[in-house]
Amino acid sequence: MDMTRRAALMTSAAIASSVLFPMRSFGQETPRKGGVFTVHYGAEQRQLNPSLQASTGVYIIGGKIQEQLVDLDAKGQPVGVLAESWEAAPDGKTITFKLRPGVTWHDGKPFTSADVQFTAMEMWKKILNYGTTLQLFLTAVDTPDPLTAVFRYERPMPLNLLLRALPDLGYVSPRHLYEGKGDIRQNPVNLAPVGTGPFKFVQYERGQHVIAERNPNYWRANAPYLDRIVWRVVTDRAAAAAQMEAGQIHYSPFSGLTISDSARLGKDPRFIVSTKGNEGNARTNTIEFNFRRKELADIRVRRAIAHALDIPFFIENFLGDFAKRGTGPVPSVSTDFYPADNGPQYPFDKKLAAKLLDEAGFKPGAGGTRFSLRLLPAPWGEDISLFSTFIQQSLADVGIKIEIVRTDGGGYLKQVYDDHAFDLATGWHQYRNDPAVSTTVWYRSGQPKGAPWTNQWDWTDPTIDKIIDDAATEVDVAKRKALYGDFVRRANTELPIWTPIEQIFLTAISAKARNHSNTPRWGSSSWHDLWLAE
Amino acid sequence: MRVLTLAGRRLAASIPTLILILIGVFLLLQLAPGDTVDAMMAQMGGGDAATAKQLREFYGLDLSVWAQLGNYLWRLVRLDLGFSAIYGKPVATVIAERLPATILLMTASLSFAFFFGLILGVVAARGVNKWPDTLISTLGLLFYAMPTFWFGLMAIVVFSIYLQWLPAGGFEDITVSYTGLRRTLDIALHLVLPTLTLGLFYMAIYLRIMRGSMLEVLNLDFVRTARSKGMDETRVVVRHVLRNALLPMVTLIGLQAGTMLGGSVVVESVFSLPGLGRLAYESVIQRDLNTLLGIIFVSALLVITINFIVDLLYARLDPRITTGS
Amino acid sequence: MDLVKLYFRSPPAVIGLVLLILVLAMAASADILYPRDPLALAGRPLIWPFSNPRFLLGTDNSGRDIAAQIFHGARISLLIGGVATVISIMIGITVGAFAGYYGSWVDTALMRVTEAFQTLPNFLLLLVLVAVFGSTITTVTVAIGIVSWPASARLTRAEFLSLRNREFVQAGRTLGLKDIRLIFGEILPNALPPVIVYASVVMAIAILLESALAFLKLSDPNVASWGNLIGAGRDVLRVQWYVSAIPGIAILVTVLAVSLVGQGLNDALNPRLKSR
Repeated sequence: MDMTRRAALMTSAAIASSVLFPMRSFGQETPRKGGVFTVHYGAEQRQLNPSLQASTGVYIIGGKIQEQLVDLDAKGQPVGVLAESWEAAPDGKTITFKLRPGVTWHDGKPFTSADVQFTAMEMWKKILNYGTTLQLFLTAVDTPDPLTAVFRYERPMPLNLLLRALPDLGYVSPRHLYEGKGDIRQNPVNLAPVGTGPFKFVQYERGQHVIAERNPNYWRANAPYLDRIVWRVVTDRAAAAAQMEAGQIHYSPFSGLTISDSARLGKDPRFIVSTKGNEGNARTNTIEFNFRRKELADIRVRRAIAHALDIPFFIENFLGDFAKRGTGPVPSVSTDFYPADNGPQYPFDKKLAAKLLDEAGFKPGAGGTRFSLRLLPAPWGEDISLFSTFIQQSLADVGIKIEIVRTDGGGYLKQVYDDHAFDLATGWHQYRNDPAVSTTVWYRSGQPKGAPWTNQWDWTDPTIDKIIDDAATEVDVAKRKALYGDFVRRANTELPIWTPIEQIFLTAISAKARNHSNTPRWGSSSWHDLWLAE
Repeated sequence: MRVLTLAGRRLAASIPTLILILIGVFLLLQLAPGDTVDAMMAQMGGGDAATAKQLREFYGLDLSVWAQLGNYLWRLVRLDLGFSAIYGKPVATVIAERLPATILLMTASLSFAFFFGLILGVVAARGVNKWPDTLISTLGLLFYAMPTFWFGLMAIVVFSIYLQWLPAGGFEDITVSYTGLRRTLDIALHLVLPTLTLGLFYMAIYLRIMRGSMLEVLNLDFVRTARSKGMDETRVVVRHVLRNALLPMVTLIGLQAGTMLGGSVVVESVFSLPGLGRLAYESVIQRDLNTLLGIIFVSALLVITINFIVDLLYARLDPRITTGS
Repeated sequence: MDLVKLYFRSPPAVIGLVLLILVLAMAASADILYPRDPLALAGRPLIWPFSNPRFLLGTDNSGRDIAAQIFHGARISLLIGGVATVISIMIGITVGAFAGYYGSWVDTALMRVTEAFQTLPNFLLLLVLVAVFGSTITTVTVAIGIVSWPASARLTRAEFLSLRNREFVQAGRTLGLKDIRLIFGEILPNALPPVIVYASVVMAIAILLESALAFLKLSDPNVASWGNLIGAGRDVLRVQWYVSAIPGIAILVTVLAVSLVGQGLNDALNPRLKSR
């Protein structure tokens, strides 16, 4: 894996040297100004403003145009963008941000704390997915002066949690273009975003392309390098690979290519294919069990299913080098929370699986079948489709017949999370740097019916509920980490969801690109230092 | 003037059909699992219950089905196709943006199918049961029996991947902003494979019909007479045979307009063309009811218009039929 | 007997019949030659054809034996094609018969519905039906039947229009036969031949429609259908193009066979045309 090693070298270089010119120590290249960077845009979204929608499909465009208070640096630590510094009161209920002076919006108006106040109260708290949960107890944002924003919470907000959530959930929008302009969701600015970022929005042709150009008044000196960014809408993955090879696309983010094309391009010296720069976008493949089925409510059956799948075989033959065995709801890339002990791991053991099923009282019937289950695979991702077939194939061997139910995205969410019309489901759990952002809701009881990606398994566990609640308001960093260790072990013991595979999104990028993949959420970041070699 | 009145009458006569279709599809989609908010959450990759509830209110999905249907029809009366949930724009605008690619693709495929179907049909009929006929008829059969999308995929493998003659997809090259003639050429180049993919199936049909009616007409009395009078073969073909043989072909265009629009869903998806077909597919998946109904409305209008033009052509080709009937 | 003789006089019709028998033989022998579940994990994914004697046609990207899927897929394609055709022709005949027999407002109303179905692009309706009712083999088959009946309805109606005032019908009426008896007992048998020939067209289109649905990943994933295999192969098209190419050829052969047999029957039934 030459490419990965190269990417790894580049990272160590990035960490070792200054933030602005990490390439200096590597190839002594001088950054080149100019050039058009083309990006594969696979899934068009309904709007482009990241203050309103937290998803990679928005960040890949909106994240270059708008900026957030805080981003993650090369080591994955919070670094100020629109905020210069921050401070939490000892009781955890007040968090004060000092904002960067001299920043202007693309339309020339100055950026102030009023923008932060408006965005936090009207967008993050009311509209932004996950933002509404994160900011549930936010009562007010005070603006004592144009460069100070004071967040006031009803309950203690761990500073650590807020700083890890803000890189995704902390994009600021211009108050003057939204306030008093009617419904925020319907504001045309959402499709022609205005921000403070290194690139200015130019044009969006639905189904074809989005164009942004360099912001000459950007607050960082000498940035950005690129003249333009063009996002090309290509929905067919194979077609995107063809266009990369034809030089029409420089970068395909977030596993946008098929597994086989990624492997192939990885061997081509013109491209770099690696997981580097996506550590902040880790995901695990999941198997969700519906406890309404009496068979699945029996822990022996859930464990038997886990033991029946040869995960290392699946990873080696179907996913290649870019996936690894998952250990629990917190992925190993999350160094701040990954526990030393993850609890039981359920290695492949067909005999044990059969024994557990026998013990549970589900003896093989006619044709060796013990019982049948309906499996709903989420319709995103080639790996989910392959994994669902693999589950079907493997469970047949231990006498569980699987019927795969194929749906589209809307149908999947409705049937799993609202109608509960599934026995097994398999999809992705996206980890967002802190378990409190989008992980614990998969396990905490009392989730409203119909809320996607939450505990809808009819499984209630007071023990895990207490751990989750305690951790959410624990201000002490070490104690929080310990609590999440308990959470992971409990989750793996009770197994309401199994997380057997850990994956990081894959980046496929032209070898001409420089300063790429140098932060854990690089695809979503602002690309102010990205440049293209001749 | 007469044509306009006729067109008006035709349209008026089609209104019940149109309304039947729209209400039918509207009610059908109410039975679908999940609504546009579920689809949107799926696309965002995350969200919470409060967000979902707000969005449902925003899209008017908290109203009863009949209230929604009533609203829709009332808007339609005022020629308002509504607002697209996916695109955040009026449906009319969204469709207007996507219509050119589809119309271009359909026109190109139809012209290709018609022109080559005609020529090959004539060639085959002239040399009936000899090797050109066998070759052409066999090819026609193969094109007829081939899944269109599969031909598209294989054409991409051969022409875009191995030979690298033609682009693998897209409507035009947007990294370089061409203008004028160069842009036209660029778009034409992008449309070669899609046109072939969509057109070959229809070419196979036209070829068969052309060949059949040529054979039929060549045996008719007036053609024999013309021949015996010593008119040269080509003139006989052009003046008498072609005119009569064209009738069934023209009829077929009218009948197949709907099918062809359906076929463009698959072809546009293979070649990632920003057309109406792909929009339709996306709006089904995204449960974007307004957009889907808008597309159905527009494509029904398109089919009705094509049929109207076909009738006019028919009248021109066959003087025995009057357009009044 | 005359019909059989006429049929075998045409070489394309004979070729069609041979191909059809071949496909039927594949369907029949699938369980003997490939007794394992065709969707089971057979080996490493993406083995090229002819490179491993265990997998003559190689394996797909889920490690399933392509040859096994082709053989078992013949059943699925014929099943979907056959059942959908029966559904479509039955609806078509019923609608067409009533419209043609009764005329007046019944005809107008039924033809409005037919027109509505013809105006709506059929593949679009198919997408909607599958999105609404789900992707199981039953719903897919029924949905294909539902979207493809209008042409046979028109055909039946035209036949009925020309037959309903013939002497034998009039005679039946004077004998006091019920309408239903007249429609299905007397007129229909005479109206049927062209509709039966048209059934081959419907069947060919039904097979193609299923494969197009499968290509868009909207068909039933629990059966080994050729379309599903083409759809799966799309992800590996650039290098392992054979995953899509092989089932495509299978579909081509089947549709070709069905069309040739239909054409042969048509020619045999209309000897006047054939004699040219």
